[in-house]
Parts: sequence; C-alpha cells; structure tokens
Amino acid sequence: MTTFLEKLLINYPYVISVILFFIGTLIILTQSNLFKKLLGINVMETATFLMFIAAGNIRGGAVPILSDTNAPYINPLPSALMLTGIVVSISVTAFALALILRLYREYGTVDANEIARLRNGGMEK
Amino acid sequence: MMTSWTTHLPVFVVILPLFVGFILPTLARRLRLVENLVIAVEVISFVMAAALAVLLFKQNGSPIPYAMGGWPAPWGIRIIADNLGVLFLLVIAIVGLPIALYTKGNLREEVGGRSRTARFYALYLLLMGALAGMAVTNDLFNVFVLVEVATLSACGLVSAHRNPRAAEAAFNYLILATLGSGLVMGSIGFLYITTGHLNMEFAARELAQVWQHSPHVVWMAASFMLTGFGVKAAMFPLHVWLPDAHSMAPTPGSAVLSGLAVKGYLICLLKILYNVFGQTLMRHFTMHHVLTAAGIAAILAGSILALRQDELKRRLAYSTVAQVGYIILGFGFVNQRGLAGSLFYLASHALIKSTLFLTAGAIISATGKTKVSELAGVGRKMPLTMGAFTVASLGLVGIPLFSGFVGKWHLLLGSFESGNFAAAAVILAGSVFCAAYLFPILRNAYFQETPGENWQDPGMAQRAAFVLLSAAIIFFGILPTPLLTLAQRAAADLLFLQ
Amino acid sequence: MINLILALLSGVVGALLTALIPAKNDRLRTTVVFAALASALIFSWRTALLVFAGAELELTFGLAGLTWRLAPDPLGAMFVLIASTLWLVAGLYSAGYMAGKRNLKSYYSFFLLANSITLGVACAGNLVALYLFYELLTLSTYPLVIHERSAEAVKAGAKYIIYSLSGAGALLAAIVITHALTGHSDFTSVPVLAGQTGKGLNWLLALFIAGFGVKAAIMPLHRWLPEAMVAPTPISALLHAVAVVYSGVYGIIRVVYTVFGPELMSSLTFAKALPWIASFTILVGVMIATRQDVLKKRLAYHTISQLSYILLGAFTLQPLGLSGAMLHMISYSLLKVTLFFCAGIIAEQTGETVVSRMGGVGWSLPKTMAAFGVASLGMVGMLPLNTFWSKYYLMRGGVASGSWPLALVLITSGIINAVCFIPTVVAAFKGESQGRVHLESGSSVSLMLVPTVLLAGISLLIGLWPGLVWDGVQAVVNSFF
Repeated sequence: MTTFLEKLLINYPYVISVILFFIGTLIILTQSNLFKKLLGINVMETATFLMFIAAGNIRGGAVPILSDTNAPYINPLPSALMLTGIVVSISVTAFALALILRLYREYGTVDANEIARLRNGGMEK
Repeated sequence: MMTSWTTHLPVFVVILPLFVGFILPTLARRLRLVENLVIAVEVISFVMAAALAVLLFKQNGSPIPYAMGGWPAPWGIRIIADNLGVLFLLVIAIVGLPIALYTKGNLREEVGGRSRTARFYALYLLLMGALAGMAVTNDLFNVFVLVEVATLSACGLVSAHRNPRAAEAAFNYLILATLGSGLVMGSIGFLYITTGHLNMEFAARELAQVWQHSPHVVWMAASFMLTGFGVKAAMFPLHVWLPDAHSMAPTPGSAVLSGLAVKGYLICLLKILYNVFGQTLMRHFTMHHVLTAAGIAAILAGSILALRQDELKRRLAYSTVAQVGYIILGFGFVNQRGLAGSLFYLASHALIKSTLFLTAGAIISATGKTKVSELAGVGRKMPLTMGAFTVASLGLVGIPLFSGFVGKWHLLLGSFESGNFAAAAVILAGSVFCAAYLFPILRNAYFQETPGENWQDPGMAQRAAFVLLSAAIIFFGILPTPLLTLAQRAAADLLFLQ
Repeated sequence: MINLILALLSGVVGALLTALIPAKNDRLRTTVVFAALASALIFSWRTALLVFAGAELELTFGLAGLTWRLAPDPLGAMFVLIASTLWLVAGLYSAGYMAGKRNLKSYYSFFLLANSITLGVACAGNLVALYLFYELLTLSTYPLVIHERSAEAVKAGAKYIIYSLSGAGALLAAIVITHALTGHSDFTSVPVLAGQTGKGLNWLLALFIAGFGVKAAIMPLHRWLPEAMVAPTPISALLHAVAVVYSGVYGIIRVVYTVFGPELMSSLTFAKALPWIASFTILVGVMIATRQDVLKKRLAYHTISQLSYILLGAFTLQPLGLSGAMLHMISYSLLKVTLFFCAGIIAEQTGETVVSRMGGVGWSLPKTMAAFGVASLGMVGMLPLNTFWSKYYLMRGGVASGSWPLALVLITSGIINAVCFIPTVVAAFKGESQGRVHLESGSSVSLMLVPTVLLAGISLLIGLWPGLVWDGVQAVVNSFF
C-alpha cells in the first residue's frame, strides 16, 4: 500500500491531471449552462495537456536545443504534440461558441434545459 | 518495383480530399463547380482505393507502408495501407461517391444559401479525408488529430441544417464527442508515458514487456480508450447524442455520419485494441467481455428504441445504435471468423445505412412528411427510391443474397467458435427486431394508399446514387469474396495469425 | 435439368409479367396466370417423374461465399407434385373467388411468385438453399396474408412475419452450427451429420425443429396460423393448409431423414420426445378445432392437428410410419383444400362464416356440401377415402416403433374429427328442401365449384385405388431406408 501511495506522490502531476480531468467531465455532465459546459471541456483538455507535458519534463533538464553540454534535456515531443492539441482545443471552443451564439439568437437563452423547454413548448403550438 | 505514383497512393488518398476541401469555400459562387469537384474527388478516391486493393491482392495481403517525408519509424510518422485500412478505404469510396451524387439534388433546400452549401461540401471532404486517414494511420497521436478533424467536421455537418434544433443537436454532439476525444487523448497519454512510443507497432512491442510494471496505468489507458471511442461510436449506453445528431443533420450528412463516421471510430478502436494492447492484454483486462456485453445491450436496446420511433430518420438513427452493437459484438469474439464477420458487417452496414438515410431523405423532401405512419403509398409513387429502401431493408434484416446476410453468417460462426451462444441468439433476435421496425414502413409504402398526392422520384443524380448503392448491396451479397477475403486477412493481421 | 429450371422459373416470370400488365386488363392477366401455372405444372411433373425414374438432377451455384444446391430427390419430388397440382387448382378457384375484387394485380403476382419459391423449397439440395427459399416464402406470402388491408389483416400479417422470421432465425443458427461441424450441408444419400456424436446434437435437433416447427405449426408455435385466416380463401386453402405449412413439415422430414438420418435420430434423447410432442398437437389441435364456431378458424386448428399426423409418421423412424406420412401428405392436402374451398363458396354465396348458423345450407349449395361431406368423412378416416390408408400406415408405423399408444392417439383423434365435422354436414341438410334459393349457378360459382368437386373426386379415387400413389410413396421411403 505504501508503495502505491509513494508512486502516487512521485507522480503527482499525473494525479493532478487525472483529478482535473474528472472535474472537467463533471462540469460537462452536470451543468446546464452551455458556456459552463464549454468551460468544462477546456478544463478537461487542459488536464490532458498537463499530463503530456509532465511526461516529457525532466526536473532541471535543459532546453532541447543542440549544444555541446551533455546535460539531460526535456523531451520536446510531448510539447510539440500539445501545440497541436491546443490548436484542436481552440477550434472546438470556437465552433462551440458559434453554435452557442446561434442557439442564443434562436432561443434567447444559453441554458440547455430552457432551450429544451422552449423547443417542446414550440412544438405544442 | 512499384511505379512512383502508386508508392504515394496511401498518402494521396488522405491528402486529396483534405486539400480540395480547404479550397472549396472560396468557390462558393460557382456551386455547380463545387459539386462536380466533390464528385471528381470521390471518383479519384475510389480509383485510388481500388488500385490499393489490387496492389494488396498482388502482394497476397502484405501491407503497403509509407514513411512520411522519408523518415523511418519510430522517428518519422509511418502510415500503412494494410488489409484493414484498404478495406475501410474501399468502403469510404464506395459509399462516398453515391452520397456526393445525392448532394447534387436538393441539398441547398436543407442547408440554405450558397456559401453555406459550399461550406457543407468542404466539411464533407474534410470528414472523408479524416476517415481515410484513420484507415491508414499507424500513429497514436495521428489517431487523435484525425478523430478531432472528423468530429469537428461531423458536428459541422449536423449544424449545417437550417433547423435550429440541428444546432442544439450539434452542440450536444460536440460536447460529448469532445469528452470522448479527451478520454482518447488521456489514454494516448498514459500509453505514451508507459511505452515512450506513439507508433503503434513500437508501442505494442514495448507495452507487451512493461505493462506488468504499471498495470493500473495500462488498465486506465484501456478503459479510457474504450469509453472514449465508445462515446464517439455510439456504443450503448453512450449513444445519447446519436439519435438527435443523425436525424437532425441534412440528409447526406446523416448518411455519411451513420454510414461512415461511426465506422471510422470503430476502425480506430479496433486498431488500438488489437494492434497496441493486443489480444493477451484484452483478455487480461476482460475487455472482450465488456465489448460483447456492450454489443448485446446495444442490439437489444437500440432495436427496441427504434421500434418506438415514429419519425423515420430517428428510427433509422436508433437502428444505427443497434447495428453498431453487431460490430462491437464481433470485436469481442477475439477470433478470426468473428472479426472478419464484424468487418464485413461494418462494410455492409455502411452501404445499407447510407442507402436508408438517403432514400428516407428523398422521401421526406418529396412528401414533406417525416413520420412512418404518414408514408402510405410512397412505394407506388416513388418506385425507385422505395425500391432502394427495400433492398437496403432486406439487407439489414439479413435475407440471403444481400450483403447483411454474409456478415451475419460469419458473425454467427464467430460466436459459435467463441462458445457464446447468448450472442448468437441476440444476433438472430436482432434480425427479427430489425424486420419489426423496417417492414411496417415497407408495408405502408406498398400496400396502403394516400390518394391524390403526386409524389415523384428525385432527379437523375439522386436516382443514380440509389441505383449504385442498391447494386453494391446486392453485389456484395452475391459475390462477397473480394471484400470477405480482405476482411479475413485483416482479422488475421489483427490477431497476429500467420 | 431444363425441366427443373423451367418449373422453378415459370412462377417468377409469370409474376413479373403480371406485375407489368395494367391493372384493368383482367383477361390478359388471367391468360398469363394460367399459362404460368400450367407451365409450372407440366415441368414440375416432368421433373418429378424423372426423379422417380431415378434421374439425378443437380444444379450448384457458388454465391455469397457459400454453395447453393438444387437437387430434387423423391421426397422433394413428392412435394413438387402436390404443390404444383394444387396451385393450378387453387388458381382456377381464385379466378372465380377473386373475380371483381380489389388489388388483383398484387394478388396474382405474389400468388405466382410463391409458387416458384415453394417449388424451390421442394427442390433445394442443401440446407443453405432450403433456408433461402424458406425465408423468401415468408416474404412472398406476407402480401397475400394482408391482402384485405384491414387492421385485422395487418395485425395477423405482423404476427406471421415475426413468428416466421424468428423460426428462420433458429434455423439459421442450426444451419451455421451444422456447417461449422461438417463443412457442408448437401442432401445426399449419407445423412449430413452422420458420424457426429455429442450431447449438443439434441440442442441442434431442437433448434431445427423449432425453426421448421413454426411453419409446420407445432404447438406452441402455431399461433400465427389461425390469425392468418383473414387472407382470401384460396390463400388460406393453398398456403395455410398446404404450401407454407408443408414447407415446414417438409423441412422437418428433411432434418430427420437427410440431416440427422434415422440411425443418429434413434440415439438422441430429444428424438424420443418428438412423437409425443406431435401427439399432443394432434389431440389438442383437433379439440380446439371442435370448439371453434367460425368455419375457417375451425379448419385452421384442424390443419394444425393434421400436420402433426405427418410429423408423427416421420418421427416414428419406421418405413411404415414414413409411408403413412407420405400418404397423408397427399391425402390430407387434397381433402383440406376441398374443405377450404367449400368454406369459401359458402361464405361467398350465403355470406355465412359461422358453423352454428349453417343449418340447412346444404339445400342451397348441394354440390358444395356434398363435397364437404366427402372431405369430412375423409378427415375421420373412413374407408372409401384416401386418408383411411394413410392412417392405417401411420398406426402400423407407431406400433412398429414400439409405442402402441401412438395408434390410440390416432384413433382418438379420428373420433374427435367425427365430432368436429359430421354434425355440420348433417345439420346442413336438415329441414325441407322446398323454398330454398339455389345458389350454385353463374360462371364464378362454377369456377369455384369445379376444382372443389374435382379434388373430392380425386380423393375418392385414391381411396379406392391407393396403388395410384403407392409407387411414389415407396420411392420416397426407399430413398431413406
């Protein structure tokens, strides 16, 4: 048991990123406000970025630029990947915002339950 | 020696639709050109997929690798046109062309506006490119990027419909799909931490040696992967977004989403499960039981929910939930027959479901009615449309000499081989359910009448699409051998049988 | 070979032509229908006679990654003869019964299509082909069941489809297992599963019986049959008393004799229960029939009971029992179609469908009721009629298999049959003949009456001279023992 706890302590960035991930998921699933859902998505994605970056990091490591010193350097690949990840995340956010805007223009609210109510009310008419 | 143009085929087949997709919005003023360009891209994709298939058969199924930029793996990104990939490329090409033909009809009515329509086409090609990429990719991070491209363009296709409900459906789809991508990316992160590789072969090799050092992390990776793709592929009970999204999208959108997009995620899941985790780990984490259970639940629940829908497109959407169940069920058998059956079923369902959605869309736009109960007499007035719908229905039910039958036959063989008689019973019960929710539509269409209405078959391009698709359903029902061989070889590759 | 192909294609071609003929052109349609039926009849008979003469006809196709085989043997040929003959007779009757009714085009198209498919069932040379035709038969007869388009018909049709497809599902599972075990499913002189062992075979047999049992209306899989009686009378007579239900019965006989084989069957526990399941259906079916007041429903339950006679004979696994089964297959089909035809005439001419109100109807429809009387006697198994001989052999088969109570079941059933039909016939002729309207004139009535009386006559002829069909029966039996 102690070894397991120790493992967790040593790998604290991963633990934090998993916790953040689930916080994000919880927000997505429980909030009815569309903006909050979107924020949940962002929190969740940031958690995965953190995990990747942490995976590549070496404490006290050098910048991965070719030089004469033989010091340990940070793995650049995860950071490079996360640039792509951030781009993807921004596109998702932008697209979601556009959809929210369209829904707001249509229904005058950004609350999912409210929209569902308005839509069903509209069908009764 | 391969000639130079064939060497680059595996990458061209991905790049062409992506590239053309990006320039389409600038041509919004010349919509006719856009339409023809899309069809041309689809034709070329088809030729390329067919060429790859021929190459593959010439090499007796040994994969065609391609190193991006000439960098060898694991440093460079390597893509592989193997049996599985070429099978899926063929499916994309065979289904994509008729859908593109169909869009020549009344897409603008559903989408509204020239520039919106041009953007619809752009998203369509982006989705096709992403799917083609999923077929040939061999790199975990590429999987993530392609999945995101596919998700965003799929959501775009849903929201393209003028109806505001489409925007709502698209938003829900986007949120849940992004949640799924998040899980997939998290899982890829875990795999990268454990193995230090993103290339699937190297990751698999490493994983086989090191997974025992951190079984919890690997288990997390596996379950995140399964849940993530489960959301995206609408694996019951993670399907909640699907009925809205697939029924609200413009008709060609529904067809491509139900027919192809869902399949793309399934192919990715299959690759990662079998190529990275491998069957030993799958059995160790009892993932095959999860897959079988999910498949059984999906078939039963999806069918029952489909039975209760009166709206035609929603009924078809729920049917997709059930049919995805068949494919997942086959993934869970972990034997060659079951996997081959599952892959063949995947191809067959892609054809069938896109036919059903396209014909349903044509019927809805011709009659203005969306409910099953209102469609009396359509069969007499729109014989070609309803004929294609009938062929597809018979195929989905699994009548012999239609493509669905071959898939079901091999799935049954697989289920018996794995000793899973419950699954076999569910496969057969699913057919009966399928008849129960599709045949009443046929009965209303052919044996009832709505007097006085003047409904007609749609235009030439759409008719051509219906004829092509139904011909394909019958063709693969009667002569399944080429596709089946691909599926069997792909299954053997996945199980590392040689 | 050409005979076989033409026999199978006549119906399909006729159906296509019928579908193309404008709905109003009655005369042309009638011509096409009869040409197709006649050609199906002629080529079927030629095929069957060739088979009985010992010719080996075989056609194989490789489709859908499987082998599909057409190869009629004596058993198949017997079914071919019964089906093609009765189809023409029912066509004749339809011409009278359906005259002036709605949706004739779809009626005749599917009527002809079902003919081809039934012949396909009979000629199928392996399980895969048999499954294909069995499934297609469901689909092609569905439109005939819902011909009236009423809510009741639609409900009955749904039930029919669901029952049949479920049965086909069980069958498919059984066939896939058979394939997995043996790698083929061709019907040859060596049973498909010969040499297989294991407890699982009991389950496999159960799957097969459940699959075909739906169409053969073995209780408790029979519930679709009485409801399907909403169909027009010629359809009830031909499909739900003979063609469709016989495809189930035929399938079971196939399973017992060509898939498992008598030898393997006699070693299976489940096979020992089968004669008793059939006996149960025989007795309960006819008892329920006696309590039905609507004539067509009564006939439907009676069908359920009679089909199990044939199955009982087959399940005894004795040459004598199988002879009885074959004889009964011929005799019963003739008589039952007669009964249904009579019911149709009564309903059409007097508007009466309920037995208890049919008193005195015999004076208005003397020829009809005479035929009805003959057929009723046949159902009891009285001597001058053909069923006497089939019951005789069934009983001998039962005794030979070592279970004399089976003979008792048949005798009891005969008595209940008498209770079921004879009072109706007697009541039809009660009262005075004076003052009754004579309802048997007019061209459409005679079109219905001719086939009815003809069939009753044939039954009587076979009863008096069973040697007419005995050679065929022996050929079937000899092919299995």
